[in-house]
Amino acid sequence: MSDIAVRVDHVTKSFRMYHERNQSLKSAIMRGRTSVHEDFLALDDVSFDVPAGSTFGLIGSNGSGKSTLLKCLANIYYPNKGAITHFGKIAAMLEVGSGFHAELSGRDNVFLNGSILGMSRKDVTRKFDEIIDFSGVEQFIDQPVKNYSSGMYVRLGFAIAINVDPDILVVDEVLAVGDAEFQEKCFQKFRDFKAAGKTVILVSHSMPTVQAMCDQTAWLDHGVLKAAGPAKSTIKAYLKSLNVEPD
Amino acid sequence: MKYLNEVWSSRELLFNLVSRDVRGKYKRTVFGQLWSLANPLALMLIYSLVFGVFFPSNPRAGDPSGLNVFALWLLCGLLPWTFFSAVVSSGAGSLVDNANLIQKVSFSRIVLPFSTVGAAAYNWMFEIAVLLIAITIAGGFVLPWIPLVIVAMALLALFAAGVALLFSIANVYFRDTQYLLTIVLQFWLYLTPIIYPIERVANKSAEIGGLGGTPVRIVDIYNFNPMVHFVALFRELIYDNRFPDPLEWLICLIWAAAALSFGMLVFRKNERNLAEAL
Repeated sequence: MSDIAVRVDHVTKSFRMYHERNQSLKSAIMRGRTSVHEDFLALDDVSFDVPAGSTFGLIGSNGSGKSTLLKCLANIYYPNKGAITHFGKIAAMLEVGSGFHAELSGRDNVFLNGSILGMSRKDVTRKFDEIIDFSGVEQFIDQPVKNYSSGMYVRLGFAIAINVDPDILVVDEVLAVGDAEFQEKCFQKFRDFKAAGKTVILVSHSMPTVQAMCDQTAWLDHGVLKAAGPAKSTIKAYLKSLNVEPD
Repeated sequence: MKYLNEVWSSRELLFNLVSRDVRGKYKRTVFGQLWSLANPLALMLIYSLVFGVFFPSNPRAGDPSGLNVFALWLLCGLLPWTFFSAVVSSGAGSLVDNANLIQKVSFSRIVLPFSTVGAAAYNWMFEIAVLLIAITIAGGFVLPWIPLVIVAMALLALFAAGVALLFSIANVYFRDTQYLLTIVLQFWLYLTPIIYPIERVANKSAEIGGLGGTPVRIVDIYNFNPMVHFVALFRELIYDNRFPDPLEWLICLIWAAAALSFGMLVFRKNERNLAEAL
């Protein structure tokens, strides 16, 4: 398993911090400029490789750049410098149920959401039963999703996203939702993924989760990569920096 | 070319977004899809009262159709206009309204403004169909012109799509755009020969002659408005039942191609930055 799934190569991403942002025409014309800003480095020259078939965790404190990196991986942000190369089909799950239309039925939303995530109608039709089965909302599939409980909503969204069937799956902290039984189901799904030789990249604040699931991790601190490598040692170093004794 | 390919490969998503809009829109209403006809019908009533009775704008009878019904004459210009203005104003808000989606999922962003074109076109087809039936009942012979009406509709849809793309991007950076747009559209409506015949402008312009000693007349400036030519196309096909001047076709084609290619160019340039700018 020496193949690489994703190569993050000297990625730098900066955001503009606006001291004065003129999102109206009046101020833009009056002052002859749209903004005064300085750049804030969210990611500073980050490089690492994600081995194919691994479950890769991104750890770090709030504001360390994990989510920015995740969005760069998901092709939502584009790095200012450097490049991210992925070998295989990538799919991101930063939020579940994106683009659901509250008035439409669960069934319609499965097709809608599936196509937003890049599945063809044929794919969705083929996997429909699996999606419904996994989400456990079969009884309510023809009800408008506005009547769903938040758990049902998330379960349906997750079930669609997991069935996109990518080679590389990028997951934000979406697992904090759903009951224990559903969470266990999700973890099982990730393990199946791994068994099938696919790569999962996830962000989590819960060290036990990371420890249990990931074999590789990268630790980010204020946009700088502190360490990357086997999960155990990276997590240990991270916890040490927080003055928390690892278990 | 690569970009066009990417857009083309998103057609299924585009179709799904259009059907989301169409099906979601009139949910939980008693009259459902009929509501889409209510707005043009109400406009027709009020304009017919004001400009057919109070201040008669007296358009000439259809030639060679011989039709002389103000309401029908009005609708031939009004329906293309309401479509255009619906596309531009909903298209302008399409990116901002879907900000959450743009920040969470990676997909070809251009389908968002395009889907508003599709949803408006769906309603528009019903409106035009009703109009064609009404014209036929009133004695016009519009049947053989239907294929050309469809071509004209496609041209206007492309033009409207191009304009909507530009405004959708502008609205991301300047939220004033959507408010400014309602004013612009108001002006635009009255500067297009929809509720009055273009002959009125031509006559007045001939009366005044060249502006400030130059050979430029009012009507020359007036003709810069692309909607003048689109409205002419629809009126001649549907109301007069004759083949429009090839020059009118050409002008419309050029405007449509120019608006769409410029719109796509600007959109493509800004697309990658959208998730951050929103």
